[in-house]
Amino acid sequence: MTNTKENCKEDIDVKLIKYIQEGLPITKTPYKDIGQALGISEEEVIQRLQKLLDSGKVRRLAASIAHRKIGIDANAMCVWKVPKERVDEVGIIMADFEEVTHCYERPTYPDWEYNVFTMIHGYTDAECEAVIQAIREKTGLNDYVILYSEKEFKKVGVRI
Amino acid sequence: MILHDTDRKILHRLQSNLPLVPRPFLELSRELNIDEDTIIERIKFMIENGFVRRLAPIINTQAMGREATLAAIKVPEDRIEEVSEIINKYSGVSHNYLRKGRNTNIPYNVWFTMSAKDDEELHRLLKEIEDKTGLTVRSMPTVKKFKIGVRFKIY
Repeated sequence: MTNTKENCKEDIDVKLIKYIQEGLPITKTPYKDIGQALGISEEEVIQRLQKLLDSGKVRRLAASIAHRKIGIDANAMCVWKVPKERVDEVGIIMADFEEVTHCYERPTYPDWEYNVFTMIHGYTDAECEAVIQAIREKTGLNDYVILYSEKEFKKVGVRI
Repeated sequence: MILHDTDRKILHRLQSNLPLVPRPFLELSRELNIDEDTIIERIKFMIENGFVRRLAPIINTQAMGREATLAAIKVPEDRIEEVSEIINKYSGVSHNYLRKGRNTNIPYNVWFTMSAKDDEELHRLLKEIEDKTGLTVRSMPTVKKFKIGVRFKIY
């Protein structure tokens, strides 16, 4: 037997996310307006969003910025060859840079030996490269490749 | 079109959570010292003019029970358009870029992220792309996450 109460709660969460994932109403009382559309109270909308944030299902309730449009044109994926035993130490150092927006360890293959990925956003390539230089100095790592995006074929936020 | 300082201030703040209170923009107005009506009007302007894609929940794919990966393919120069079109058709693909190594030549040039309802489905879709293109797809899922949180320095 499935817990129907639990399922019902999840259904409303999914309905809520689906309703607002293209954008919240930009009004004085957005949560009240969402509630009215979904037939739930403003309080319930707020509580559900709080829980979704607390549980990590929603990372943030925030603006997705068209970074290119505001002049943040450079987007460098810098991949590093890091000895397994140093991954934790350098991952933390890299993540500490404001311009590093993503930092992940990923698997290697015989023809792909770079295991730490950093995404760096900046106003110019030079700004990205200055960050890479600073990472090199702080970590002592020198085996890396910078991959700039030459063309954006697709970029959309994750939807459910 | 250039954004003025008020817009930049608002934009910077909007990258962090919108307050979960009945009048969130009123709360922002106190934080930023800009009145509520102006904040609302400027946000609408920035959405309509494409500076802000959306003000919405940013979903954690994995926490929602989905599986995701970063995948890379070595695509011959003359097939890039064709292959990227095949990849873009999948709704689980959120990013797809042509990338070139700056300081070193690297063979992997098309990079995309894909999510699916579970691991099995994810692998099935990647295999389908391999079959359709005749190219090997390298899946590089996250082993460890050190940072995720795209907040841009706005100045």
